[in-house]
Amino acid sequence: MKILLTRSSVALCCALLTGCSVSSPSVPTNSAARLIDFGPELRFGNNKKNPSTPFLRFSPDARLFVIWTEDHETPWPAGKSHSAHGSKSGDRASSPMRNAVLSWSNDGGKTWSNPKRINDKVEAVQGEENGPKIAFAPNNKAFIVWSIPGGKGDKTRANIRFAMEDGEGGFTPARTLNEVKDAGRFPIIEAMPDGNFIVAWIDRRIDNPKPRQLYLMKLDPRGQSLTKNYQVGQGLCECCKLGINFADGGKTVYMVDREVDDNKIRNHVLRKSIDGGASFAAPVEISNDGWQVPSCPHSGPSIGSDRRGRLHVSWFTQGRAEAEAGIYYSVLKDGGETFAPRTMIHGNTAPETLYNNLVVGNDDTVYFAWTNLDASNRAQVYMRTLAPDGQTWGAIQQISNAKGNASRAALALKGNQLHIAWTEIDGEDSRVVFRSAQVSQ
Amino acid sequence: MKTLALVTRLIRRIPPFEKGGRGGIFLSAQGANPPQSPFFKGGKISKFRSAAATCAIATILQTNAIHAQHVHTPPPSVAPTIGSAAVPFELKTLDGKAAGLETFRGKPLVLNFFASWCDPCREEMPQLNEMAASAAGRYHLFGVAVEDTRAAMTEFVNEAKITFPVALDPNSTVKRRYRIFGPPATFFIDSQGVIRDVVLGPLTAERAKQALKKVGASR
Repeated sequence: MKILLTRSSVALCCALLTGCSVSSPSVPTNSAARLIDFGPELRFGNNKKNPSTPFLRFSPDARLFVIWTEDHETPWPAGKSHSAHGSKSGDRASSPMRNAVLSWSNDGGKTWSNPKRINDKVEAVQGEENGPKIAFAPNNKAFIVWSIPGGKGDKTRANIRFAMEDGEGGFTPARTLNEVKDAGRFPIIEAMPDGNFIVAWIDRRIDNPKPRQLYLMKLDPRGQSLTKNYQVGQGLCECCKLGINFADGGKTVYMVDREVDDNKIRNHVLRKSIDGGASFAAPVEISNDGWQVPSCPHSGPSIGSDRRGRLHVSWFTQGRAEAEAGIYYSVLKDGGETFAPRTMIHGNTAPETLYNNLVVGNDDTVYFAWTNLDASNRAQVYMRTLAPDGQTWGAIQQISNAKGNASRAALALKGNQLHIAWTEIDGEDSRVVFRSAQVSQ
Repeated sequence: MKTLALVTRLIRRIPPFEKGGRGGIFLSAQGANPPQSPFFKGGKISKFRSAAATCAIATILQTNAIHAQHVHTPPPSVAPTIGSAAVPFELKTLDGKAAGLETFRGKPLVLNFFASWCDPCREEMPQLNEMAASAAGRYHLFGVAVEDTRAAMTEFVNEAKITFPVALDPNSTVKRRYRIFGPPATFFIDSQGVIRDVVLGPLTAERAKQALKKVGASR
């Protein structure tokens, strides 16, 4: 009887496998969707200088810019001595000094300008999740922010630096934006529809009570400060990136971040301003994930909006159990205050906080990129799409093929040009890898 | 429809996955739990349930992720827990010396995972330095720098005046073996290589004292 049942089960299984391919699954996937057809890999920067931490963005005149960091040539800052720990081995420079470097393409990423160093002085431009960010004025001038360790070399008590194109082929001397020194981290910059810029970062000038605060300031199109630093939120997780988005011609500003409460529970929130970023309402929880972690996770959330005004958010959480760990997605419709229940984009296969990013196409397709581990336990970059209907998910597609680990993918999308760049690390060497694809819009 | 109804009945007879297991396409290394009681009868998997479970899993895979090209094959993973043997590793310290679990056998080991970019790691560093200074041969203290570069870690070692040996974990191999979601994390391993305590988050003096006692390294 058992054998009969087993056979019948197997038969049923086969029937199901055949039948389900045409049935309507509870989480629709687009069976007809082609994988995104990416071109070959390109590398940025001087491989001997360990390029890393790329960020991509289109300028208003449709040039694609990439910004990254790489080692400075000077082997060691003058006056500093090597400690017993400091003997050099491997290819990594023994100096923490790194430069922010920029290049652009006006043919969709096929050819690139000669890289230009942005920081006028040699400094330890921070990378990883804290890498330089770029935004553009309506006249195509690039505005760039980055962070450098504080006076004592402390990466967690850093300073926010700013420079812009000077109109003569170079960059203005960098200046520090945080008025209280050694207090900022994770800067982002975004061009507002009115031509001004918002710079935001995680601040620890009020170091007690913990945790961190969200600070903003505004710059005008000449790079002059329009405001002083001002606090718009608190309770932020200390070590992960922020996200920002605009609506209503810039009157409405949305920001996403990871919050941490007294019990070290880290949920992600949306902050909304209806006065152009001057003030923000109380944060709205995106999902009550209940992720309790006393240590230092990174990989913050991402946000994007579509033509219908829907806000799309992705984030990593470990949830309440390891089984819940993964990259999640939710959407906020009609400017409401309630997010749809979270949907898992990709489960986590190992103890790893997964960096994630998203961009939204002109047809409202959402493109997600994130890091996860492959079968060999190496971190790779993956992508997936969500169709404009908000329900049909594309295939999960591995984009990188790193020998070591690939992580922190940046995305840029304009029309049907989709671009992705990430950092690959193998041993002590790193490189920046870039790929492009044509997508249907 | 009859087929579907029958399948529904079959699947209903399968008890749910145990809490802590993983479902659907996202079955992965996390839990690394073999199916527990729901699929076992006296240590053997029931053929009926096995087949039905296969059917159910196939259904889930089919419906939820048939188009996913990448289905993770769970890498072997044993979460190091209190009472289990510490996971072996081989690393090189910043000054080039080989160091692994075996290097420290015979005395308790305090194995600390940290990073230069990590706030709570900086917070706990004075405590670790204090422990290193007062170890007096009773135990070893070893730091594993995760997701960090040689230059940044060297700078941090100088800045925080770290006195215990530190190694980079260049491809995150050891971090993943010890299942570290985010630093800091400290494993207290006894002289026989058995994990006796784990502290996630910054280590305090009181917590360190308790843990050292468990590995037989208290004063």
